[in-house]
Amino acid sequence: MKGKSAPWLLLAPFLVLFIGTMIVPIIMAIGYSFTRVERLGLLGEAGVNSAFAGLDNYVAALTNVNFLQSIGRMILFGVVQVTVMIVAATILALLLESASAKWPGFFRATYFLPYGIPGVIATILWSFLYIPGLSPIVDVLEVVGIDIDFLGPNMVLWSIANIVTWTYTGYNMLIIIAQLKSIPGELYEAAKIDGASSFRVATSIQLPLIRPALMLTIIFSIIGTLQLFAEPRLLQTMSAGITSEYTPNMSAYAFAFQYNDIGMAAAQSVIIAVAAFLLSAVALGISNWMEKRR
Amino acid sequence: MSTTDNAPTHRAKPLGNAAKAARGDGRAGTRDAGRKPTTTIIVTAILAIVAVYFLVPVYWVVVNATKSTEDLFGTSGFWFGETFQLWENIKAVFSANGGIFPRWALNSLLYSGVGSVLATYFAVAAGYALAKYRFRGRGLVYGLVLGGVLVPGTAVALPLFFLFSSIGITNTYWAVLIPSLVSPFGLFLASIYAGAAVPDDMLEAGRLDGVGEIGLFHRLSLPQLVPAIVTILLFQFVAIWNNYMLPLVMLADEELYPITLGLDNWRAQTDRLPEFYQLTTGGALLSVIPLAILILVLQRFWRGGLTEGSVKG
Amino acid sequence: MIPRLSRRSALIGGGAALTAGLAACAPPNPGEVNAEPTIPAVDGKVRLSYWAWLKDLQKVCDVFNESQDRIQVDATWIPGGNSGGYAKILSAVAAGGGPDIAQVELRQIPEFALAGALVNLSRYGFDEEEPAFDPGAISQAKVGENIWGVPQDTGPMASFYNREVLEDELGLSFPATWDEFRETAGIVSEAGKQLISLDPSDGSHPIGWVMQSGAVWFRPEGDGWIVDMTDDASMRVADFWDGIFADGLVGTGYGSYTTPWYAAAADGNVLASISGSWSDALNETVPGGSGKWAVAPMPTWPDGYASGGHGGSAAAILANSAHPAEALEFLTWMCTDPAGIDAMIEHSGIGWSPAADYIGEIRQQPSEFFSGQNYNEEVIVPMAEGQNLDWTWAPLMQRAQAIIGDGMTAAVTGDVPLADMFASAQEEIVEIMRTIGLNAEEAR
Repeated sequence: MKGKSAPWLLLAPFLVLFIGTMIVPIIMAIGYSFTRVERLGLLGEAGVNSAFAGLDNYVAALTNVNFLQSIGRMILFGVVQVTVMIVAATILALLLESASAKWPGFFRATYFLPYGIPGVIATILWSFLYIPGLSPIVDVLEVVGIDIDFLGPNMVLWSIANIVTWTYTGYNMLIIIAQLKSIPGELYEAAKIDGASSFRVATSIQLPLIRPALMLTIIFSIIGTLQLFAEPRLLQTMSAGITSEYTPNMSAYAFAFQYNDIGMAAAQSVIIAVAAFLLSAVALGISNWMEKRR
Repeated sequence: MSTTDNAPTHRAKPLGNAAKAARGDGRAGTRDAGRKPTTTIIVTAILAIVAVYFLVPVYWVVVNATKSTEDLFGTSGFWFGETFQLWENIKAVFSANGGIFPRWALNSLLYSGVGSVLATYFAVAAGYALAKYRFRGRGLVYGLVLGGVLVPGTAVALPLFFLFSSIGITNTYWAVLIPSLVSPFGLFLASIYAGAAVPDDMLEAGRLDGVGEIGLFHRLSLPQLVPAIVTILLFQFVAIWNNYMLPLVMLADEELYPITLGLDNWRAQTDRLPEFYQLTTGGALLSVIPLAILILVLQRFWRGGLTEGSVKG
Repeated sequence: MIPRLSRRSALIGGGAALTAGLAACAPPNPGEVNAEPTIPAVDGKVRLSYWAWLKDLQKVCDVFNESQDRIQVDATWIPGGNSGGYAKILSAVAAGGGPDIAQVELRQIPEFALAGALVNLSRYGFDEEEPAFDPGAISQAKVGENIWGVPQDTGPMASFYNREVLEDELGLSFPATWDEFRETAGIVSEAGKQLISLDPSDGSHPIGWVMQSGAVWFRPEGDGWIVDMTDDASMRVADFWDGIFADGLVGTGYGSYTTPWYAAAADGNVLASISGSWSDALNETVPGGSGKWAVAPMPTWPDGYASGGHGGSAAAILANSAHPAEALEFLTWMCTDPAGIDAMIEHSGIGWSPAADYIGEIRQQPSEFFSGQNYNEEVIVPMAEGQNLDWTWAPLMQRAQAIIGDGMTAAVTGDVPLADMFASAQEEIVEIMRTIGLNAEEAR
């Protein structure tokens, strides 16, 4: 092809921005994560120097009980919430595609609607449905004798899970529907001739064919939970169960802005990024491998 | 997606193996014609119950935006209160804090609008370049950008803050806008799509006619890429609109806030000042409506976009 | 279809990023505002912004705004410090913005100063104003020789108790010493009630106790810190409460002034709270409590101080303020002038007055709720005068208090006694102080 400079010209704006907003910050974060500060005077008022810290910040981060707990919490959250969400999305997709339902267009739109509502606003709306005295749901449950504190220390994780599920189920459902639509019609014809029930069609034709897509969706959703930040941070003011280090991201934020420990914050950010990167890469590898095997 | 959270990497990646894509809007064949009516009733009933779950918060905000603060606490949240003061509440939303709410809305529109248009243009240009040219360094660029897709945006927000504060652009529009201009995910979508939808013959014919390389992209290729452009635009718009951590970290001045941060600010004040419940509820209603309409109207594009990776134009 | 993860391109990309990463750069330094020349007061009019979570603070500012026409103060409400307020202030300052003045709890001042977020008030001649302040207040805003914030209210600890049940029903009097406290708590618990109930995860109580006992956990010495949590004064407190917890003499299910506490207090099942003077306003909302409650001094040790500090805030001037001199003028008025104190009590319901010799107009009258007692003058004044003035807050109290809270939770369940926890906390705190770049060591 001609024009050696043409591709670089087309790439230039993207590359400059990409390097400036991703590569450089990540390099800086890696740099900070190997640094510690030395303060002169009682509060550093006489000067602040930085020094090479080796792996100290990483050791500190990976032995910090709260940080480890926040990761563990997110894994638990991811496993439970993602499973519920994907199962729900799959069932809804199958029902909508079964042609047994009336007004599928209306339902599809309704389920997808929350995806357009920012996490912050979704959290605000749901928080109003959690606060005792304001929430009609709490009132109704009280009438039937169920006394539940959605914001209690043990409950609040699942109240967050509910918000995330509410937001993303419809989106995942649309992905699955698109997969279902791509199944060739002949397969259904054949099943019909064999007299298969719709349950059987679902388990032996539809589910196996959408399985790879499901796998990816699940894995990426679990990785996504590592990033949880907005929802718990908003609920923090209402729930005693949410500490400043409730999720890995909140922890990094707290170390940066509350605890004056930039090195630790940087190390935690790097750990989160590397974990997400590795999980994603492994996930992609697995799904490619499974594809090839089929 | 670089520094916007809720990016496609966040939940459910729209990649997938999608061997074949949704073709048109037709439902899966004409199978299943003539179901039993009882099945229809049961399935529809289940779907309706689920729909209630998805609509409850939206319903709640619509109903409660019409109430006075007193009714908000004094009457059932599932039905209208004794007074109907929707207009008063909305007026209050627009005039509170010296009319800050419309400003937040405009800021959100600015960040999302400008950010998504430019991000899409840059991503499509770069994706096209990677798909249609063979050049040294192509593999390196690809690898870097792939890494960028896999690194979550929120993990970059803090480092980005350190960078921006060292060059002194935190607490400005640029601090939120610049990171929004990058969409590694968009680049991928564009490069895959361009690889399939822009025929080499067409480019060669263009070159023979004396069209420059940049002209080839703008005049011949861009029109072929419209479906991918729409998808990237929508994803990026929603991702920026939903973003919370980046503006939270970057912005100190209320006047620069997007709507998400602003409403969060109001909501935080409800602890002490109950009248902020009304403002937050009214503000939430106002910000849900345009997005709801956008989502419903553009639903077909979303669906198209989800499997775009494999679709040929 | 996403392109397969090409091993080669991934390696190249990752390798490039890592190689470049080794070129480490230094983290951002906190603001150097305290090394730059001071900013003189200006001639013209000045508008100041003030972030705080005190209610109706604007009304207090308005009193000042109307008293002169040079300085105008605008208050903005923010969430409470640990509910996100601190992060908001610190990230705003780090981003180069933020208000002129912000509310910072007294114990949080050194942490803010460490972050480079505060103006050193001693550089603005604030030391001259020191005599106008209650020594127990100003000492908490000091680190070494420098004053970093204007104390706005304090919380000298006292005992708020249900006189009717304790005295009339059970025939006891409120314990004056800790030995008597143990005895009384035992009798009350045999009667099926609780003298007090603590939230063990709240680290502010043990800190108040050791402060009263005479400990100085964090001692500035030269350029460094001596952390001493295992001196005799601390250990007697630890041993005492280990004994109380082991025998189950106080409630540990919930803290004072929480919803279950109010319910139990209204039923006469929890009889007291030993907490900051600001407890009075909270206590007055105990249903049906009017005329039945009373205030007593904090139980004491044979030596040591009359009381400890529990809560309290300062108004600090933030590093990016363009008008620190004017801000200081306003804050000095607000926190020492009787008009400012009265306005803060009336509108914002502050805790104990930070001013020397002025406790506030309405605090000089007998209280109907507290059995007609003129408790402010009779009880709280001596508590405020009997503070441990050697106490200094360390620049990591958010985490230190969490460590103590976690430790007390473990002590209550019997896992690790407070006596051991203080020693391990000392080690951990020194470690953290070193991590954030300070020169710190454990006391010998």
